[in-house]
Amino acid sequence: MWCELCQGNFFDEFQMEGVAAEHNEIYLELVPENLSRALKTAQSAKAVKIKLTNKHCPCLRVAVELPSLSSSSRIVTHDIPVGVIPRRLWNDFREPSVPDFDVSIYLPVLKTMKSVVERMKNLSNSIVIEANLNGEMNLKIETDLVSVTTHFKDLGNPPWTSEDGCQSSAQDRDLESMAEARIDIKKLQQLLAGQQVNPTKALCNIVSKRIVHFILLHEDVSLQYFIPALA
Amino acid sequence: SRVAMKCVIGGAHLRVFGRAIHAIARISDEFWFDPIEKGLALRSVNSSRSAYAYVFFSSMFFQHYCWTAVSQPRQKEKQLSLPCKLIIKSVLPVFRCVNVLERNVEKCSIYTNINDHHITFKLFCKHGVIKTYNLMFQECDPLQAVFAKHMCPNILKVHSRLLADTMIHFPTSQEEVTLSVSPMKVCFKSYTEDNTDFSRTMLTEIQLSPDEFDYFQVGVDSEVTFCLKELRVKPIAFSMEDRVLEASFILATLCEVGEETAALRPAWRQTFHSFFFGAVSCKERDAVSHTFHSLATASDTEEDFVSCCRNTR
Repeated sequence: MWCELCQGNFFDEFQMEGVAAEHNEIYLELVPENLSRALKTAQSAKAVKIKLTNKHCPCLRVAVELPSLSSSSRIVTHDIPVGVIPRRLWNDFREPSVPDFDVSIYLPVLKTMKSVVERMKNLSNSIVIEANLNGEMNLKIETDLVSVTTHFKDLGNPPWTSEDGCQSSAQDRDLESMAEARIDIKKLQQLLAGQQVNPTKALCNIVSKRIVHFILLHEDVSLQYFIPALA
Repeated sequence: SRVAMKCVIGGAHLRVFGRAIHAIARISDEFWFDPIEKGLALRSVNSSRSAYAYVFFSSMFFQHYCWTAVSQPRQKEKQLSLPCKLIIKSVLPVFRCVNVLERNVEKCSIYTNINDHHITFKLFCKHGVIKTYNLMFQECDPLQAVFAKHMCPNILKVHSRLLADTMIHFPTSQEEVTLSVSPMKVCFKSYTEDNTDFSRTMLTEIQLSPDEFDYFQVGVDSEVTFCLKELRVKPIAFSMEDRVLEASFILATLCEVGEETAALRPAWRQTFHSFFFGAVSCKERDAVSHTFHSLATASDTEEDFVSCCRNTR
């Protein structure tokens, strides 16, 4: 999963100093549950400060100022241990590039997709996503006992231009021809379950039998999920 | 065992009694049922002897309370108490759905049957239905918490709401918490030891201002560590006009001072560092909320605690 947030949209103040001027970045590794718990504390906060510190070990210090009954606020501090990733490994974490996909299509309403996938999850471990350039998408599961397909149409296909300004080669494709990939249904369900707000734009790119790439755009945040196809 | 007791709990107080049982159940599987002349005491201690609960219902709490001591000819003095142990699991079903209890049960009578070691709980329900529970008890030595005499310079009195709001920031898996007090600051933080692996442990710290406490007296900067699980017990809620009920939950703390290794001995015998939480009835209903005041305070003995409450009201 790759998520990008623009600092200006979230923070009143943002200061950082990376390793060096030409490499003004910091890569940290942490347990997401810790950060999620720390931020739960902040639900009714007056202010939240996040700072990278090094007490016993590198930590992300989340300091939350909460309202209290007295004149002085309550302060809750969470020290989340983090691993600082050395520069030589940064390439492992570069934003994955958009794959050379066969079909790109807008997703159906996520709520609908979520309820379909949740029901399918009870019947099968894997799901096939197939779509074509005619705005049609099918979600299919197949077991010994039953096969279920949900059809979506008129979804629309996003226009992509390649770097040299031309329409991508995917446009040469037969409109009706489906690109498909079989993926782990739990991963898809988790992705959908994580979406609490409807994105401004939601689409997926399918590389036949290789990978499904989901892009969800909100005003302030972009999320990309890469789910590899099962063998 | 030469004491007989019979009491009746009226409708509205059933809920309170039931809640007391549930609260004690969080400490241990068994509890001491100790009727005395002034009222009924319930006590329990957990297996590691690091938490102790005490609830006392004065005779005024009951619709009817009757206690008699019968002396045996061989005994020189009357044995004035009949401490007996009951298994919580046997009593809990009697007070299972505390909220429903009030609606369906008119009253509950409890009486001891000294001859064949039974305590009988009788629930008088609607439509003439009477549920009778005969529970066996074990006679045993009395249970009493021992508090360290020298420790009383710090007294904190706080509404339980504040504690609940504070504890919520710790993960449910957090076992022990350190409370650190100084005249200017109160701080609850995750307990750490020298060999804690900081690279894997998330640490949480909550700072409170003394202003948030109903009563705040810190004579000695102190740090105590205690088990969070017992603290998460909600104090009993009640609203009564007379002082007919008091309860205290006593939690042991780890000894920070000196070379004693707390791990070797049950912590609370040596330490009693000023910690117990109590729910005490108020004389008048609290103007703000009808529920309760909660009390975290230090005391030398239970007697002192009782008188301390009377004085600070």
